[in-house]
Amino acid sequence: MTIANTEELLLNMGPQHPSMHGLFRMVVNLEGETVTKIEPKIGYLHRGMEKLAESRTYAQFIPYTDRLDYLASPHNNWAYVQAVEKLMGVEIPERAEYLRVIFGELARIASHQVCIASTALDMAGWSAWSYAFRDRERICDMYEMTAGSRLTVNNMRIGGMSNEPPPEFWPALKSFLDDTPEMLDEYNGIFFGNEIAQGRLKSVGILSKELAENLSITGPVLRASGVNYDVRKAEPYSIYDRFDFNVPVRYGCDSYDRTIIRMDEIVESIKIIKQAVRDIPEGPIMAKVPKVIKPPVGEVYHRVENPKGELGFYIVSDGTTKPARLRIRPATFINLQMLPIVSLGWKIQDVVAIFATLDAVLGEVDK
Amino acid sequence: MENKVLREQVEKLATQVNGEVEEILGELILKVKASYINETLKGAKSLANTPCDFLHDLCGLDAVDHLEVIYQLSSLRGPQRLRVKAIVDRENPVIDSVTGIWQGANFLEREAYDMFGISFKGHPNLKRIYMWDDFEGYPLRKDYVTEPIEVRNIVRTRIEGE
Repeated sequence: MTIANTEELLLNMGPQHPSMHGLFRMVVNLEGETVTKIEPKIGYLHRGMEKLAESRTYAQFIPYTDRLDYLASPHNNWAYVQAVEKLMGVEIPERAEYLRVIFGELARIASHQVCIASTALDMAGWSAWSYAFRDRERICDMYEMTAGSRLTVNNMRIGGMSNEPPPEFWPALKSFLDDTPEMLDEYNGIFFGNEIAQGRLKSVGILSKELAENLSITGPVLRASGVNYDVRKAEPYSIYDRFDFNVPVRYGCDSYDRTIIRMDEIVESIKIIKQAVRDIPEGPIMAKVPKVIKPPVGEVYHRVENPKGELGFYIVSDGTTKPARLRIRPATFINLQMLPIVSLGWKIQDVVAIFATLDAVLGEVDK
Repeated sequence: MENKVLREQVEKLATQVNGEVEEILGELILKVKASYINETLKGAKSLANTPCDFLHDLCGLDAVDHLEVIYQLSSLRGPQRLRVKAIVDRENPVIDSVTGIWQGANFLEREAYDMFGISFKGHPNLKRIYMWDDFEGYPLRKDYVTEPIEVRNIVRTRIEGE
């Protein structure tokens, strides 16, 4: 018996495609519906951040970092300002550290909600999408109260925070935290408990532990492959060593675990915020830093645990007001390397699922 | 504490690969010539007690008289961190690819090639990653001239087969 070979089809997905989470394009070779090769094409959103940094002063670059991973902008600010502070040897006030933790963890919740929502949407789950986005709006409202913008928050400065949250911020935060268990129950009921979602995600796109380590993958994707590694625990930056929280690890290595691990992380983030709100001291929010920021000659590499993986800033200073070299280590750019390897042999709809669980934000991938 | 152990090990490795060890802001830096890079990284990966076996980042740097490729190594099982700097000739920037050691270097080496023109020998698919294929020049080099607005406004035509 001869098996009829189907003609190989070359399919361009993106850059303008609803499941591509931004401007991402992949050239997919298909045999029937089975993927035989994937080539990711990126750079549609490339703005040359690293080049721009070389012609801007240290303080001027802070708003640019918001545009990296725009779903968790406080984290990008945080990584950058901490790198500069490390280079200059600046100690920041206690209250500012606590505020940074609160905003950072709120951003983690918001980012994970978008991940859950957009994964649901890619599996055609419209209702789950609207539930998660409805709840994320409350975090955006809190951003707006404090900084005036809903997405690109930009409220961290070299040496502290730009301003104190207004009085109405604290009750809004409290009611949000009180409502979160119910929110998570809803996501569980409408999306993770859904038979179709489970069928589409479970045991799809297996990323083994060895492959994940070899591919330099970080963040929830690595932890869903059974590696217990989180920069907040391994190398506590800021004041993370003061909080009591766990690092969620899952061992399924599949798309389902890569998505549901974000639910576990939301629970841990809520724990951290509750402790931070309880312990936050009164006091100034800005350290005394010189008007003109001129770090000494030297270099520093600083990394933080972004919601999507490890974000690193490598800054080389030549003693002037502008960095000689500023390198951004984008988490999802490196995580994206698993897509062509893991997707082989899966159907085209599974590739959409695998890509969704990576939670790629093209602002960060393309820099 | 662990930095001391790591430092001893790295110094031993440095003598094997003709490298220099320095410490800036508490971070160990090992500088080597480009031709020793594979040997250095394999050595760093298998350091006894403190293996730096996770390639955290790879990037290029223009130091005006030469180029550098910087490898940020760490480990998922310990606090050790090591920065390896490979010095690459500016006129003939060639260095061995490390994709054989870490597959994760694939995109990162393509990015360094795209931005600095450093060619990685043995890379499976060394093409530009952010800029388009017929882009000229290497944007992150210090001598790169940012184009005037007239040039920027030229609409690029599609090449066949793209």
